[in-house]
Amino acid sequence: MLAFVVRRTLATLVVLLAITILVFLIFFHTPGVDPARKMAGRNPSPATISAIKHAYGLDRPLPVQYVILMKKLFISRDLTSYTNQGELVVPTIVAATPVTLSLVFGAAIIWVVVAVVMGLAAAVLRGTVFDPILMMIALIGISMPVFWLGEMANLITQSRYHDSFLFSWVPPLGYTPFASDPAMWFKHLVIPWLVLSALYIGLYARVLRAELLENEHEDYVRTARAKGLSERRVLLRHTLRTSMITFVSLFGLDFGVLVGGGALLAEVVFGLPGVGLLTYQSLTSLDLPVIMATVIYGAFFIVVVNAMVDVAYAWLDPRVRPA
Amino acid sequence: MNPIRRIRPTRAACIAALAAALAGLLAGCGGSGSSGSSGSSASSGDHRGGTLVLDWNGIGSSIDTAVDYDQNWTLLYMVYDGLVTWKKVGGAEGNTLVPDLATAIPSPTDGGKTYTFTLRKGIEYSNGAPVKASDFVRAIEREFTVPGPVGSFYQGIVGGDACAKTPKTCDLSQGISADNAAGTVTFHLTGPDPDFLQKLALPFAYAVPASTADKEVGPSNPLPATGPYMFDHYTPNQEILLKRNPHFKEWSKDAQPNGYPDEIEVKLSLSTEAEVTQIEQGQADWMYDQPPNDRLNEIANKYPDQVHLNPVPQVFHMALNTRVAPFNDVRVRQAVNYATDRNAIVKAWGGPQLATPTCQILPPDFPGYEPYCPYTTNPGDGKWHGPDLAKARQLIDASGTKGDKIAVICTPDEASKSVCLYFVSLFKQLGYDSSIKVLSAAVEYPYTQDSSNKAQISFSYWYPDYPSGADWFDVVVGCNGFHPNSTASANLSEFCDPKIQAMTEKAIKTSVTDQDAANQQWAAIDKATTDQAPWIALFLPRHVDFLSARVGNYIFDPNVLVGGPLLDQLWVK
Amino acid sequence: MSTVGSLEQPVEPVPELPQGGSAGASPWRLAFRKLVRNRLSMAALGLFAVIVAVSFAAPLYAHHVAHTDPFASSLTGKTEVNGKRVDVLQQGSGALALGETPIGPTWQRNYFLGADEQGRDVAARVLYGGRTSLIIGVGSALICSLIAVVIGLAAGFYGGIIDGILSRILDIIWAFPVYLLAISIATVLLTQGLSIGPFTISASSLWLPTAIIGVIYVPYVARPIRGAVLSVREKEFVDAAIAQGASDRRLMFGEILPNVIAVVIVLLPLMIATTILTESALSYLSIGVQPPAASWGTIIDDGQQLLYSRPWVAIAPGVMIVLTVLSLNVLGDGVRDALDPRAKLRVKG
Repeated sequence: MLAFVVRRTLATLVVLLAITILVFLIFFHTPGVDPARKMAGRNPSPATISAIKHAYGLDRPLPVQYVILMKKLFISRDLTSYTNQGELVVPTIVAATPVTLSLVFGAAIIWVVVAVVMGLAAAVLRGTVFDPILMMIALIGISMPVFWLGEMANLITQSRYHDSFLFSWVPPLGYTPFASDPAMWFKHLVIPWLVLSALYIGLYARVLRAELLENEHEDYVRTARAKGLSERRVLLRHTLRTSMITFVSLFGLDFGVLVGGGALLAEVVFGLPGVGLLTYQSLTSLDLPVIMATVIYGAFFIVVVNAMVDVAYAWLDPRVRPA
Repeated sequence: MNPIRRIRPTRAACIAALAAALAGLLAGCGGSGSSGSSGSSASSGDHRGGTLVLDWNGIGSSIDTAVDYDQNWTLLYMVYDGLVTWKKVGGAEGNTLVPDLATAIPSPTDGGKTYTFTLRKGIEYSNGAPVKASDFVRAIEREFTVPGPVGSFYQGIVGGDACAKTPKTCDLSQGISADNAAGTVTFHLTGPDPDFLQKLALPFAYAVPASTADKEVGPSNPLPATGPYMFDHYTPNQEILLKRNPHFKEWSKDAQPNGYPDEIEVKLSLSTEAEVTQIEQGQADWMYDQPPNDRLNEIANKYPDQVHLNPVPQVFHMALNTRVAPFNDVRVRQAVNYATDRNAIVKAWGGPQLATPTCQILPPDFPGYEPYCPYTTNPGDGKWHGPDLAKARQLIDASGTKGDKIAVICTPDEASKSVCLYFVSLFKQLGYDSSIKVLSAAVEYPYTQDSSNKAQISFSYWYPDYPSGADWFDVVVGCNGFHPNSTASANLSEFCDPKIQAMTEKAIKTSVTDQDAANQQWAAIDKATTDQAPWIALFLPRHVDFLSARVGNYIFDPNVLVGGPLLDQLWVK
Repeated sequence: MSTVGSLEQPVEPVPELPQGGSAGASPWRLAFRKLVRNRLSMAALGLFAVIVAVSFAAPLYAHHVAHTDPFASSLTGKTEVNGKRVDVLQQGSGALALGETPIGPTWQRNYFLGADEQGRDVAARVLYGGRTSLIIGVGSALICSLIAVVIGLAAGFYGGIIDGILSRILDIIWAFPVYLLAISIATVLLTQGLSIGPFTISASSLWLPTAIIGVIYVPYVARPIRGAVLSVREKEFVDAAIAQGASDRRLMFGEILPNVIAVVIVLLPLMIATTILTESALSYLSIGVQPPAASWGTIIDDGQQLLYSRPWVAIAPGVMIVLTVLSLNVLGDGVRDALDPRAKLRVKG
């Protein structure tokens, strides 16, 4: 077991290292991107630009630049943005993380609760018209682009019906930290939560229904029934429990992806200054230090969660453990 | 397309240092008729207090005066001071220089090469330390030693050339002599510079303690303030908060009046749509950015009293690369100038209230401006009346360039794309094989500057740092603004005509002694350049200010530092 | 990932073709019959066919119904509404007269859904946009399948070092948030286009987003294919074939490939759904399809700038995306049920 964990950790580190190199190459190789030019202001002399290049080590060979960047990011932690050189990258990401966590946690609660209810209902009502109707609703949720759904939500709550009693409480797009005004925090986030969860409600309800139907024929369920337990009890106590294993492991992966920057489109549409929006802004301004840091942050979450899920599986089910 | 303040790439923010000549025009410019309220006394206590909330689509810029170029100047002018500054009043007077930390504006001696300033006594930084003469040597030195913009402004100071070459050993003690006991600062220049005082008014020359290091100061350790406010707190991407500087005592109402609000809060990274909504609902008082086209009709009809329009001398244009086919042929450049329907571009920008067609390089009310428009039907009165497609076709036929490929370069924002798509359609109509090339805002400006990319035509604009013809004809369409194969080449047209350049150099010399004669020369240069058509000059913008209902005392100051309302003079009570 | 559809949870349980040598009903034919009997799937197929047909009829609509060029800027254009000539872009009202607003839906032949900020006919653009989105969606799904089949076959069949290297590379791409990868590559390539050896793709070419989207989803498809190859290799009939001295080539094409193709066919509708969603997201962030070309995503992006005054510009292309992706998802379910009734839902783990 220990060997497996160690191996998995090593592989994870290699993948992370490869990602940093990949990102560095993608962006440092871009012609036309000249951070020194940007720092030099409006009408600099070519001498100013080469002076800045030298000061930031931008005239050194690529491997050296890569090492300098990684050192500043991980060891001295004083990496600064190219767009705003007074801005330290690491604290900026730390400051953006609570926004993303607020968004993803809230959405996750909604999607888990609604998906469980929908999945259960569909499984119980199998054979009636409600099952296909619920599953069609789930499919529609999966089929909507989140940015479009977000825009439609904005259209209704910010523009068309904003003056009606239904949506007059919706604040302008943006974010208020929980610490400074919890009620405002909630008002800012509730529409993004609903929009972001639509896709996952669809996915999870379908997964859960399929799992429930599959497990119905397992031996332990038959045994439970044979013992004379009520249908409801069997469903909630036994079938649902087993089915939730898949559900939960899936949840771990999706949660990792979303916190790691997957909520980018939702954050852009709703103007939430989280890690996704930060990434997007740094991509549009080609601000390499911030791009590096946010992508590594995202990859880190995903890789670590992946590894954790793998290890957890190996622990639960020894057959998965590689020889 | 400059790294411009108030980055709303759409209807970009507009600022310009206007000439004193601009008399009166700005006074009556409010679109709603409620602009420019009385510039009443700043020290009156009735309206003091409260928090002014500003919205900014940007992510925040540096707050080091040696590094920030323009983006944060709107805040820096309320926090820091230089020896001289532009008068903090509305209208044309906002571009007159007044003494700030100095007692008076000196006349140069030694044939225009020496300027001696005497400091006001008893002025302190927000940390309690006194402002000393040696602080100004440090400020200019940091311009060279801290990686960032523009040593070139101060390269004319004795020793400046050496500093630009080897920043590490920069020493300006020969060029700037400071006497802390007497409180005098003396600048020695290598040659006369008619714009030197204006350069000293820019934030780059603001006082910093002599002990300040050669490293950029960040949001966590701002420089100590001299003005009525100081940086209290700055989180990039989120917010900036200014609070009153306890050591500030008003020394000159013209240079640095005390402000009304107790706090000024800037909310960063909001969408312009959200900004408009916040102002409508009274959650913010003013937006740096121009309101999006989608909301203009709404705010103009629902809140006409809160909307203010002001012209700004900035020229939006298409830069035509005079060294790459087909625009290396002057007939083609003139032809596309004739063919351009400037009314269509005005529509793309938000209509005739927000933009006025133009054909020439200089903006109105600039020294040397005389209306001139050869590229129109019925030319003669200097105004643009309509496109002349017949003439355009004639010229293009004569040039034999039909069928050439043309890639129109622009940024992804709505207005820029809109203008570029118009030109793609126009060029197709004229017989060219045209396409659009959209580059991210970060890439576009350096890309179009670098001559090795052979960019053919791009949407761009220019505004001067201070009112001088040299900032146009010696930079943006002049030989000195063109550096081959460098991203530091503001002359996107790569236009360099030896005859015109000779005229420009003569005009710069003339302006040291005789401004009026120089202005006449600038007018001739403007005409000669317009005839050579390095640009398709498109329109002159008007600036929109949208304020919350509670705000009073709106004063529009057009100069380069403010370029909008005087923020600390707004009443929130 | 917030907008990725069903592909995000890739197929792990491998669909398998029923093996059997009996000449009568081939497994393919059985599956096809089953699919045809599934009414919901047939309805979805019909809907998808209609969307494709309408989209490819875009030039007909533009030239013969709306009489407009949906790619030419028409800022000062005029049109006829109820017998009156009106500006396509109308100056703001009131004393201030600020802004220019495009004409709204006329519900007539011309400007049926109104105009965009360039004064172009939105209805015609939505149809042209559909053509672009479908071409990119299908094209990138096919490119993705092709690369994935090659990689999956190589890794699964040869195993060993080849498998190790390929799997590690896939792991790296896998660890990258898929949208971030697409956005990063698109942002960089838009500046310069892409050139690999003799092939050059210009930045404005539709091939660029097609290629980018095709590549980023390779791991999601290659993994199940590799799994399919591995599981088939372990089957008795393969052992039997090896024992009879079958060549690698016969094994590969005779036994393994048909199973792999089954996996691809099950995945294909879902892949197209996913690639269409991805294309729309990239274009929405203005790093996908470049103007003046239109896709549903670019029109939503245009519409975002008009959300308050002319919401139809954003609503119409979004509805088209939802209908298309929904029909593909339903069809995908049907195909999976038909080909592989035992397969669980697309679940990883």
